[in-house]
Amino acid sequence: MNGTNVPAIEIEHLTVSYGQVAALLDISVAIGAGQLVGIIGPNGSGKSTLVKAILGFLRPDLGRVRIFGQPLERAAGRVAYVPQRGAVDWDFPVTVREVALMGRYGRIPWWREPSADDYRAADEALETVRMAEYRDRRIGQLSGGQQQRVFMARAMAQGAEILLLDEPFAGVDAATERAILEVLSRMRAAGRTLVVVHHDLATAAEYFDNLLLIKQRLYAYGPPPAVLDQELLAEVYEGRLRVFSRLLAGRGEEP
Amino acid sequence: MSDWWEAAAAWHATHAHVARALLAGSLVSIVCGVMGCFIVLRRMAFLGDALAHAMLAGVVIGYLLMKWLFGLEAHAPAMLVGALIAGLATVGLVGLVSRQSRVKEDAAIGIMYTGIFALGGLIASLFSHYIHIDLLHFVTGNLLAVELADLWMMAAVAAVVLAAVILGFRSLQLTSFDPVMAASLGVPVAALDYVLTTCTSLVVVSGVHIVGVILVVGLLITPAATALLICRRLSAMLWAAALFGLTSFLFGYAVSEWLNVAPGSAIVVAGTLQFAAVWAVAPEHGLAARWLARRRAVPQTIREDILGCMHRDGREWVPWKSLTERLECGATMLRRAGEALAAGHWVECSREGLRLTDLGRDEALRLRRAHRLWETYLERLGTPVSDLHRRADQLEHVNDERAVDYLDDKLGHPLVDPHGAEIPVDGKRIVAGALVRVSLLREGHQAIVRQLGPAAATLALSVGQPIRVGPRRPDPITWTIDLADGSVVALDHRQADDLLVELRD
Ligand SMILES: Nc1ncnc2c1ncn2[C@@H]1O[C@H](COP(=O)(O)OP(=O)(O)O)[C@@H](O)[C@H]1O
Ligand SMILES: [Mg+2]
Repeated sequence: MNGTNVPAIEIEHLTVSYGQVAALLDISVAIGAGQLVGIIGPNGSGKSTLVKAILGFLRPDLGRVRIFGQPLERAAGRVAYVPQRGAVDWDFPVTVREVALMGRYGRIPWWREPSADDYRAADEALETVRMAEYRDRRIGQLSGGQQQRVFMARAMAQGAEILLLDEPFAGVDAATERAILEVLSRMRAAGRTLVVVHHDLATAAEYFDNLLLIKQRLYAYGPPPAVLDQELLAEVYEGRLRVFSRLLAGRGEEP
Repeated sequence: MSDWWEAAAAWHATHAHVARALLAGSLVSIVCGVMGCFIVLRRMAFLGDALAHAMLAGVVIGYLLMKWLFGLEAHAPAMLVGALIAGLATVGLVGLVSRQSRVKEDAAIGIMYTGIFALGGLIASLFSHYIHIDLLHFVTGNLLAVELADLWMMAAVAAVVLAAVILGFRSLQLTSFDPVMAASLGVPVAALDYVLTTCTSLVVVSGVHIVGVILVVGLLITPAATALLICRRLSAMLWAAALFGLTSFLFGYAVSEWLNVAPGSAIVVAGTLQFAAVWAVAPEHGLAARWLARRRAVPQTIREDILGCMHRDGREWVPWKSLTERLECGATMLRRAGEALAAGHWVECSREGLRLTDLGRDEALRLRRAHRLWETYLERLGTPVSDLHRRADQLEHVNDERAVDYLDDKLGHPLVDPHGAEIPVDGKRIVAGALVRVSLLREGHQAIVRQLGPAAATLALSVGQPIRVGPRRPDPITWTIDLADGSVVALDHRQADDLLVELRD
């Protein structure tokens, strides 16, 4: 669909700061199209910041992001977003169907109402994640896993080639995790590029084609075995290595 | 004749006054309600307050400038512009202070708005002999002194704000709900923030005429917050907030005329009462709804005790009566608990008794596992045997998967509890086809080796090999597995944790 070797997301020397503190420093990486990529790193390491910068919400101090070779201004709507649970106001008055419909907002000019096609696309996306019967519920009335699925539906209704998901597996039960994973692999099979912020190192190798390890700066990008290297993790996760070596080993240790 | 004429003129004059007040108040309260929705949802209430307070300085400076430069008294447009500039300057300064110093935003707002408000007061009293309007009107509002010019100003504000909300509805909704996605669609998020701030200042300026600087936040926030209690959609919330704004104005104004009190206070009190009334009856978050839900709710502990009791009982149908006796809980509570369990498909209810479903049996086993692990853990801690059961009864309700897994692992995956009773296996995970750690398995389980973690890497096993779990050996705890060729492999705890196998049949 796009040029054979144009990366889906190309980041060059990206530096983003909040006040005087650099949340991201000199990050350069190219993510190929059609991949399922996990972003890992300890809490506060800048994973969400990276996602927000790729979406054009945060203005970089330096560097740039290109989407399929295009600067962000010309890539509006080509990247869909599933926010972190904690970043959403669950008291907001918005129904499940309206959230899914937001996926279509990029195509609806401001002077027009959403068309029947837009509603159909939203409903179909809800159908795919099996949330159609909840469409008139307020988003805050659902369980964590259901809410996550509604945001997945929104991303699907958008029909974007690239999806960014911020910790979609945090706080959901095993069944939902499997369901989300299934949707992800289906979307990758359809040629989409998926970038997922992930907090569980134990499953990272199993879920993703490539991993991106960051803590303010980029520590590694590549296939899981190379990134999940003991020494590298020791450096990035500092004192908590013991915990993670257990996780990596598949958990379990003497009391 | 002239008497009659004078009376008619006076009547007309007072009525024109009332009509103006009604029109101004309705217009402003509707717009405040609509704008208030965004202020509530974006948590900008403090900002509305800051803007209102800054206005005093703006009005005074506008008044003095027009007087000194052009000799004009009480020039309304200049005072309006002054108010707007002061409001926007406050917003800018708040941002500057919170960005450029370690002071957080709420403190920055506090500093700037009291500072600018006080500055206004200072200038006003310094030049009090120049200023021929009653500045107290700005503090308490003066609905009855609304002039035609003010009315035009309010109408213009209403038109601008409502047009912005209607035309920009989807963008405003999206930036308020998910600004990151809005930015990714190319919505100018920062520009919309300015639009909203400007609209808020405009609305605050017109609201101050009605209820005054101090109460204008009530006019903005209360109807919107009331609407939030009952609305599922932003569009509905905007309508409802407009309506609640209007009703609180009309009711408050009527009361103020009737009791001859300050309209500003009466209007805000009416809004607050309206909020309380809606809160009491709102279906989702309302007090009554919550009270009902709490009354209907059955404590989880009782539900779990019922499942445990039925499982121990062993009969297929357990009569209600034997449960009431054993659980020492009222018959009504028990009925309700039974219904709650039936709704979750854990039991079936009949008039005579209850029956566990397969789901309920699994749940009962899971609880028993939690109970016995807690007992084992308590015994490890040195709890007297006489206390074990009682304490474990309380603790078994702490049974989330992570907690139970932790106990199990820490205790070395024990097979029996301190009383010698068997600890059930983790029924959720130990199912045919599942990938599980050998440490969780019991004698007789058959499986196929699927993954050798680091600790298990040195074992004489290979992926794909069928195994059968043998008996555990104590001191130190050792797992054994039997291979097809008759040989036996012994594993320590770490190795057993690291060996992942796929369960058969
Ligand atoms: N809005 C903000 N203002 C100031 N600092 C922020 C803001 N958001 C995040 N940070 C800081 O930036 C760093 C990276 O945050 P974040 O990207 O959320 O990390 P992660 O998603 O990896 O947990 C953290 O130190 C955090 O405290
Ligand atoms: Mg984050």
